[in-house]
Amino acid sequence: MPYPFVPERFPAVLPPLGDGVDRVRHRVAIVGAGPVGYCVAIGLAVQGISSVLIEADDSVCAGSRAICISRRSLEILDRLGALPGFLSIGLPWTGGRSFYRDREVLRFTMPNDANQRLPPMLNLAQYHIEQILLERVRELADRIDLRWRTRLTALESQADGVRARLTTPLGDYTLEADWLVAADGGRSAVRESLGLALAGTSYEGRYVIVDIAMPSDRPTERLAFFDPPCNPGSTVLVHKQPQDVWRIDYQLRPDEDAEAAVQPANVLPRVESLLAMLGETADWAPIWISLYRANALTLDRYRHGRVLFAGDAAHLVPIFGVRGANSGIDDADNLAWKLAAVLQGLASERLLDTYSEERVAAARENLSYGTKSTEFMAPPSFAFEWMRTAVLGLAVRHEAVRSLINPRQTSPIAYADSSLSRVVASAPDFRAGPAPGHVLAEAPLQSIDASARAPVRHDGYLTQRLGSHFTLLHFAPDGTLPADLGGLDAEMRGLGIRWRTVVIGAGMDDATGRLWALYDAARGASYLVRPDGHVLARWRQCHANDVRLAVARVLDRVGERKGGA
Amino acid sequence: MNADELDAVYTALCRAMTAVGEARAPLLLARFALLAIVEIADADRLQQLIAAAAQDLTDPTAGSGS
Repeated sequence: MPYPFVPERFPAVLPPLGDGVDRVRHRVAIVGAGPVGYCVAIGLAVQGISSVLIEADDSVCAGSRAICISRRSLEILDRLGALPGFLSIGLPWTGGRSFYRDREVLRFTMPNDANQRLPPMLNLAQYHIEQILLERVRELADRIDLRWRTRLTALESQADGVRARLTTPLGDYTLEADWLVAADGGRSAVRESLGLALAGTSYEGRYVIVDIAMPSDRPTERLAFFDPPCNPGSTVLVHKQPQDVWRIDYQLRPDEDAEAAVQPANVLPRVESLLAMLGETADWAPIWISLYRANALTLDRYRHGRVLFAGDAAHLVPIFGVRGANSGIDDADNLAWKLAAVLQGLASERLLDTYSEERVAAARENLSYGTKSTEFMAPPSFAFEWMRTAVLGLAVRHEAVRSLINPRQTSPIAYADSSLSRVVASAPDFRAGPAPGHVLAEAPLQSIDASARAPVRHDGYLTQRLGSHFTLLHFAPDGTLPADLGGLDAEMRGLGIRWRTVVIGAGMDDATGRLWALYDAARGASYLVRPDGHVLARWRQCHANDVRLAVARVLDRVGERKGGA
Repeated sequence: MNADELDAVYTALCRAMTAVGEARAPLLLARFALLAIVEIADADRLQQLIAAAAQDLTDPTAGSGS
């Protein structure tokens, strides 16, 4: 049975050539139109930067891949203008349950409270993810030149750009670009052509991944079954996807043959016995069967001259904890504003070294959590196996050990140790609120539209005030900016810096009153937020010169020359 | 001890067991238990913990994990 989705097929297109070379030298070439490549292209387009996007295939992806999109990713997708499509198709969820044999041993919820606008997690198939992003790319067609059935076969990296050798059914050509973003996945051709290799750990434990079509009213949650009666000795995971598609993952025994294990004759009875245990009685049909083995691998650096790596091309994170696509979307978000700032002449290219610095650190954190999850879900030695059995058996009666079963789902990464988080001396007198490097905490806002003849109250949320620009969040009970800060908007925009000042106070405030406490804000407090939503600096009392200096250091720090270099 | 710390200690024990190998891992656990006993140093509490650890294990297949 096929997936309930028919992808549109696209032909190859050759650009005008001169001597076998694309006549246009591009500012940015992005290799790989997957979720990460799309997000980089859209992020650049929103910043005013054009790119060419190369995809080897002729359609959005097929098959079973990423299905869980985190709240943090949804915030990013909102800034990219793609959120409505995700919310209209995806299934929101907040937690899950784990069972040992026939006993429930853990009920977990992901962080969620009344301040939130977006669900902690949203399930949808990767073809949905790519289709929604593709539609956004089409809206931005004047800035994104998407070329299907175009495969990179060789890459020459130069001091001021790249020369990429491309092959299409219509013929081969060379493409030149100032910068190249490698978003071409786990088997990255760009990575291979530069002779780079991922380093880390590959796990032996194997999982069969099965997508089935089955109507069911069962809620959207993560279900984990350890040593279940339906499949003794195995571990089984169940996730709901839109349109009556269900994802079932189960662990193979070490002695099982991989080829035999994915044969329908071996898979279907196991799924059937799981569904019987769950009490599902509707007719069902398999759609997809594949084998998965966890990897925890990364490059040491994501910038190699004029080539920048993102997503699976840069790192492979275990599926447990759903950090794969989500960390790739985070890469794209971190990269787009920095690359745009460099291309617009606002920052030196050393700003892109902070992309590598921040996202390699993020990957190591993601890998550390992903490794923990994998060690529990696919124990790599007898010791992990014994200890897991001990945890599961004790968890029935001893609540204190249950946190060890928690799947450690993806959560926002803080760039606390980043050099960008240290451009302003820290303000240790804040007792709450996001410190430099952290993402904003969500809170409801109500605004009054002054342009309407009668004031209209809009319900909204703080993160909706962010965009692909720097944001100065200023707290003033009377809703007015001090004269000192009043000219910053025009000044920054005059420098070509995308900028917005948001005043929290009369006119726009949190009707529930929680926001000020959440940010430990008093009159005059300010948070300066990067275009990717991370806090750059904060002040109890902020002066325009503080802000100017912070921005200059982020864009120019970069210009700070080490003596003698 | 918070959840992250519990996690780290759990993993450290798993790695120590893996390092000595399956044959000597029970001895490692026995030594660790003995050190934990003298550290906890509360005879009544330790009797309860021994009973809790043994509970549900009388069925020879219980907790085999395979």
